Amino acid sequence: MRFTPTELTQNELALQQEVRDFLHEELPPGSHDPCLGMAARKDKDFSLKMADRGWVGMALPKEWGGSDRTAVDRFIVVEEMLRWGAPVGHHWVADRQTGNVILKFGTQEQRERFLPAICRGELGFSIGMSEPDSGSDLASVSTKAEATTGGWIINGTKIWTSGAHENDWFVCLLRTSPMEDGNKHAGLSQFLIDLKSPGLEISPIPFLDGSHHFNEVTFNEVFVPETNVVGDLGMGWHQNTTEMAYERGGPDRWLSPFSTVEQLLREARGTQLEITTADLFGELTARWWGIRNLSLSVARLIDTGEAPSVESSLVKEMGTRFEQEVVEKLVHLIDLEYSPDSESLFERLLAQCVVTFPGNTIRGGTIEILRSVASKGLKGLPA
Amino acid sequence: MTEVPGVDPLITETADRLFSQICDHESIQNAEATGEASEIWNAFAETGFPWISVSEEFGGSGGALLDALEVLRLVGYHAAPIPAAETGVLGGWLLANSGQQLPEGIVTVLPSGSEDLLVARTGDRLTVSGRGLRIPWARIAQVIVVPVELDNQTFVASVDPNDCKITPMTNMAGEPRDTVDFNEAEAVAAPAAPDLNLEAFRFRGALSRAALMAGAIEKMSQLTVSYTNDRVQFGRPVAKFQAVQQHLVWGAQDAALARMAAESAGREANRGPASFEIASAKLIANQAAARATKACHQAHGAMGMTQEYPLHHLSRRLWSWRKEYGGDSEWSAWLGRIATSQGADGLYPLITGGSSALN
Repeated sequence: MRFTPTELTQNELALQQEVRDFLHEELPPGSHDPCLGMAARKDKDFSLKMADRGWVGMALPKEWGGSDRTAVDRFIVVEEMLRWGAPVGHHWVADRQTGNVILKFGTQEQRERFLPAICRGELGFSIGMSEPDSGSDLASVSTKAEATTGGWIINGTKIWTSGAHENDWFVCLLRTSPMEDGNKHAGLSQFLIDLKSPGLEISPIPFLDGSHHFNEVTFNEVFVPETNVVGDLGMGWHQNTTEMAYERGGPDRWLSPFSTVEQLLREARGTQLEITTADLFGELTARWWGIRNLSLSVARLIDTGEAPSVESSLVKEMGTRFEQEVVEKLVHLIDLEYSPDSESLFERLLAQCVVTFPGNTIRGGTIEILRSVASKGLKGLPA
Repeated sequence: MTEVPGVDPLITETADRLFSQICDHESIQNAEATGEASEIWNAFAETGFPWISVSEEFGGSGGALLDALEVLRLVGYHAAPIPAAETGVLGGWLLANSGQQLPEGIVTVLPSGSEDLLVARTGDRLTVSGRGLRIPWARIAQVIVVPVELDNQTFVASVDPNDCKITPMTNMAGEPRDTVDFNEAEAVAAPAAPDLNLEAFRFRGALSRAALMAGAIEKMSQLTVSYTNDRVQFGRPVAKFQAVQQHLVWGAQDAALARMAAESAGREANRGPASFEIASAKLIANQAAARATKACHQAHGAMGMTQEYPLHHLSRRLWSWRKEYGGDSEWSAWLGRIATSQGADGLYPLITGGSSALN
């Protein structure tokens, strides 16, 4: 494990400026309620505008509609979008992981069919991993795909599926052969499933604040054509693990409360609150600077062809806990009875942080699971 | 692709090998008992390492600040009980930046500068009176350097320890932090370079401690990983338990964070103004030290609380260094003034741009 300091090149700084100019133009400060990180609003028009700039699926090859840009370039775009609280929800999953999975493991036909559409910002994807009886123990999934003429018949249930009611496609980890003794990672395969398929039923699971992100997706004899199997049969676990490496350690794991902190500074200007909170701004600025440097070095490592799974797990575990710590420090220091209906944007954002951020250390793998992944990788390092 | 400019890998390798050979548990323990480690110092001085980044013109070894900080990181990593920072990056820097030659031996520095002292000037000589506190290794130093603010000008004064009364004191790791009574001590003094003042010295001190602390936290984290993989309870290594894994991961994170911060600050300082990065790196090191010592001690159980096991060489240094050249509140207050003065729209550009985002 080694995080090597790196910094942005002139070209990368130019991209950063370009994104900042774009955001000033499209979402001038004060014109929108910022979203809190990756749980952002879905705004297809905004996604299409980003795609016009080449910023969706940007690390994918040009031949598939991407821009052949680097992981660091993508880091820069994502970072600026999130700190601005931009509505990146529509293309989020496709951009972060599905495009990579299809590029890496998909057939030629799947690449032609999906990648250009992803890069145009058109397609929204959901992730089908968890099931009612399979959460952290993901390898125990039991939703079954059984071979039939020309394809597969699927039965079972996926749960906590964000955006299934709005998205187009569903990437699912399914069991294609029965669990063997001693090798629960075998017999799993990944499928691309049309969320409008007959027999597929989507029921909302209201979030604790009443909003609708989560769903339960039930498969009742759902037919999926043979051509929608991603990669090799039985290799689903390996593919899925690779996919997880893309979703860990990026700015989405440490920037979620930034808009809230920024808004506090805006509203506290010239008041007693600015004096009360000045030291906290100092501390948070330093911490963000440090974590960002770690996270950026992971992106740089990915560009050298490495798969830094230990490093990205460490950053995600630390980053998501930091997000919660930020909120706790604000709550501790500020004597306000903040309300979700307040006139103050800061208060509304803070209330939203308090209520929704417990999920930050759970989604995409609980921090307990991340610790287990990371601590195995710490063994045997040079002294 | 941009990498850190030039930490010479040969320096890392040589310094690491040197300390691995001569700086063992017994010698650190012995240094604590006697207040010095002349064998370690002599071997270290033999290589010229203490004077890296100090110009050869003034008796230094030349080379980049980044390399000097890498040596300090390894001093921290090996808990080497020697005044490495004081002799080169701090004292040597002060002397060379006021056009003065370095002595051959150990140099130390009054950490607070002349703030609590009385300095009188007669011609080109200064006399220093008053009590200087927490001066590292003053008892074995050849020269005590005192940065002085006098008539709105900064001078670098050096005092012969033989002209002072030295009362041995220590920090929590048993490293000498002596009390020195200057009684109209004669000092050789020279005006400092234009950008050198007490504030710049404060930042320089913080940078030196951030490098030392990054090394110590990393070693502490590695010790903890290997101890918990060796220690068997309930029939398996304790590192297999989720509750213990939490401590391992937290220790490793703080090691990575503190090192990244110290190296990023060093890189920035190597080429220009780096006040934001240094302040951030010291604050991060302070907080990382607090968390990591707690996690690593907990994972070690009772063994970590003994003198025979080396964890305490690192943890006690970290608790001491955390308070040297600025504790948590000093740096968060400094950073808070900088951050709030950027305004809301300038906050993120400060995080990405650091000192280059400041005017």
